[in-house]
Amino acid sequence: MQNTNATTPQIHGSSDIIVCDNLEKHYSRGGETVRVLESIDLTLARGAFVALMGPSGSGKTTLLNLFAGIDRPTAGTLMVDGQDLTKLSRAQLAQWRATSVGYVFQLYHLVPVLTAYENVELPLYLHELSRAQRHERVSEALEAVGISDRHAHYPRQLSGGQEQRVAIARAIVTRPALLLADEPTGDLDRVAAASIMQLLSQLHSERGQTIVMVTHDPSTATHAQRLVRLDKGQLVEDVAVLS
Amino acid sequence: MSRAQSIMGMATLALRGMKRRPTRSALVLAGVAVAVFLFCTVDAMRSGVERATQKSAGETALIVYRQNRFCPFTSQLPQSYESAIAKIPGVASVTPVKIVVSNCRASLDVVTFRGVPPQEFAVTHSGSASAQDMQSWLSRGDSALIGRELAQRRRLKAGDRFTAAGVDAFVAGIIESDLPQDQSSAFVHLSFLQEQAKRGGTGGVVTQFDVRVSDPAQMDSVAQAIDERFAKDQSPTTTRAETAHVARAATDVIVLVGFAQALGIAALVAVFALVANAIVLSMRSREKEISVLQTLGFRGVHLATLVLLEALLLGGVGGMIGAGASYAAVSLARTAMTMEGVSIAIAPSFAIALIGVAIAIGLSVLAGIVPAIIAARQTIVAGFRS
Ligand SMILES: Nc1ncnc2c1ncn2[C@@H]1O[C@H](COP(=O)(O)OP(=O)(O)O)[C@@H](O)[C@H]1O
Ligand SMILES: [Mg+2]
Repeated sequence: MQNTNATTPQIHGSSDIIVCDNLEKHYSRGGETVRVLESIDLTLARGAFVALMGPSGSGKTTLLNLFAGIDRPTAGTLMVDGQDLTKLSRAQLAQWRATSVGYVFQLYHLVPVLTAYENVELPLYLHELSRAQRHERVSEALEAVGISDRHAHYPRQLSGGQEQRVAIARAIVTRPALLLADEPTGDLDRVAAASIMQLLSQLHSERGQTIVMVTHDPSTATHAQRLVRLDKGQLVEDVAVLS
Repeated sequence: MSRAQSIMGMATLALRGMKRRPTRSALVLAGVAVAVFLFCTVDAMRSGVERATQKSAGETALIVYRQNRFCPFTSQLPQSYESAIAKIPGVASVTPVKIVVSNCRASLDVVTFRGVPPQEFAVTHSGSASAQDMQSWLSRGDSALIGRELAQRRRLKAGDRFTAAGVDAFVAGIIESDLPQDQSSAFVHLSFLQEQAKRGGTGGVVTQFDVRVSDPAQMDSVAQAIDERFAKDQSPTTTRAETAHVARAATDVIVLVGFAQALGIAALVAVFALVANAIVLSMRSREKEISVLQTLGFRGVHLATLVLLEALLLGGVGGMIGAGASYAAVSLARTAMTMEGVSIAIAPSFAIALIGVAIAIGLSVLAGIVPAIIAARQTIVAGFRS
C-alpha cells in the first residue's frame, strides 16, 4: 500500500524512530510571523517512552502534530519511522499515517454515532483486511485496553476514562510503529488518569510500543524513560527519567 | 488497499451516520419525499394530458362535432348524418354517440354517458366485456356498461343502479379499455339516452359521431370531406382527430398542468436546497470528526466519497418514499380530469417514479459536491482548532 517506498529509502528497523534536524514551524497571524518551533534537533530511539513537557503555548502539540504527519514543518528535516515526511504529498502522507502512527487526543475525539467497536474498526477500513481479520484485530485491541465488555456502547454511554481507552485501542489497532498522545490524561480525574498511564506503560513494556506523550503533569511524566522539555518553541531540557 | 473495499467502508459509515441521527435524517427524508411526491403526481397529470392529446402516427379516430360548439349539451347533430358519413370514401365505421355529462366544466368527478347503437357496439367492443355482461347489457334497455375507473370511483358493480346527470341506469357490467375516453364513461343504448335527454322532441339527436378511417394517412382528407358534406346543412360540423378534439377541450387544463409542472420543478429545487442545507450543517458540526478521520489516514477522496454517499442516500431513500407514495396515491385514486365531456386519465407510471428517484438522487449528489470538496480540502490542524 505504500507507494511512497520508491521515492525515499526506507530505514525500517533502524534504531531511531524520529530524527529531526533544525526543525522550524512558523505561523503567520495577522501578517505577523509567529515562530512556534525554533531549530529543534531531536533523535528518539525506537521502543522509547518519551514525555514532552512545557508550559502552555510552548509548542508541544505543534511538535507532536509534525511527528504525526498531520502538520508540515516550515523548515528543517524530519524523518519518522524511516520516512522523510517533508517529501510526501498530501495523499502519501495520509497513507503513511494510516500505517505508521496512532494518535491519542486529550478529548478522545471518538465518532459519536459509532459504537466503541466501530470506532476502533474505523482505521482498518484503510487496510487490506477481510471482515474476519478486522474483527480479530478490533477484538484484540479492545482486549488490550481492557474494555471488551463495552464494545457495543456508544461514546456518550462511556466514562471519560473508558472513552480514552477506546481511543487508545483505535490508535494501536493498526499496529503503528509510533504512538503519539497529546495530554491523554488531561481531561480525566486522578483515578482514571492513573489507570490510563498504567495502560500506556503496559503497552510500552509488554509490546515494546514506542510512545511520545505530551503532558504537563510531572507525576505522569515519571512513567516515561525520557523527558524532553520545550519552552517558547525551543528545546530546553532533554534528560533520562529515573524510576 | 482495494478501492471497492474503501468505498464499502465509506458506505457503511454513511449508512450508520444516517441511521443513528434519526431525527435529522427523518426531517430531510420527509422533505425530499414530499417534493418528489409532488413532482411525480404532477408529472402523472402531464403525461396523461400528453397521452390523450398528442397525435400519434397510427391514429384513425375522428370525432365529428357540431361546429362552434364546445359542450355536449350544445353539440346537437341529427342521427341521420350517420348514413351520409358512412358513404364518404375512407370511412371504415361510424358510431353515433350521445353524450350526457354530469358536469360540463373541468372536474375530477364527471360521468359521461355515451349513447351508442347496441348491436354495433356489441360487435366493436366484443373483447372489452365478458360475454355474459354484454348479453345482459343488450337485453336491457336501461342498462350501462361502465369504465373501470368510473366503477372504482363510484364503487359500482354489476347489478347496481346509479344516477348521474338526471339519467338513472342499471349497471350490466364493467368494460375494460385502455382508452382514457372509455375509462370514465357509461355506455348506454343510444335510444335510451335520447329518450332520457328528450325535452320537447330532441329524439334522433346525437352529440357526435365517432368515425374510424381505414388509413391513418387519410385522416385530414376524410375530416375535410365530412365537414364539406354538411357545410351548407342546418347543422354544420367540425371534424377533428380525437387527440386534437381532446386537446381543444382541454386547453385550460393544459395551461393549469403546465403551471403545476412549474410547481413540481420548484419542489425539486427545494430538494436541492434541503439536502445542501442538511449536508452543510452536518459538515459544520463535524469539522473535528473530519480532522479525526484524516488523522487516521482517510484521504480527500474518502471524505468526498463519504459526503457524496450521504447525499445520495438522503436523495435516494427520500426519492423512493416520495415516488412510491405518489405511485400508490395515483393508483388508488384512479381519477380522470374531465372537461367538456372529454376525459384525461391520470394513470400511475413506473417510468415517472424512476425519473423522480433519479432526479432526487442527481440533485442531492449535486448538492453534496461543494461540501464534498470542502471536506476533502480541509486541513487537519484547522479542523481541530475550529
Ligand atoms: N494553526 C495555527 N495557527 C496559528 N497559530 C498557531 C497554530 N497552531 C498553534 N499556534 C500557536 O502556536 C503556539 C503553540 O501552540 P501549541 O503547540 O498548541 O502549544 P502547547 O500544546 O504547548 O500548549 C500557540 O501560541 C498557538 O496559538
Ligand atoms: Mg497542546
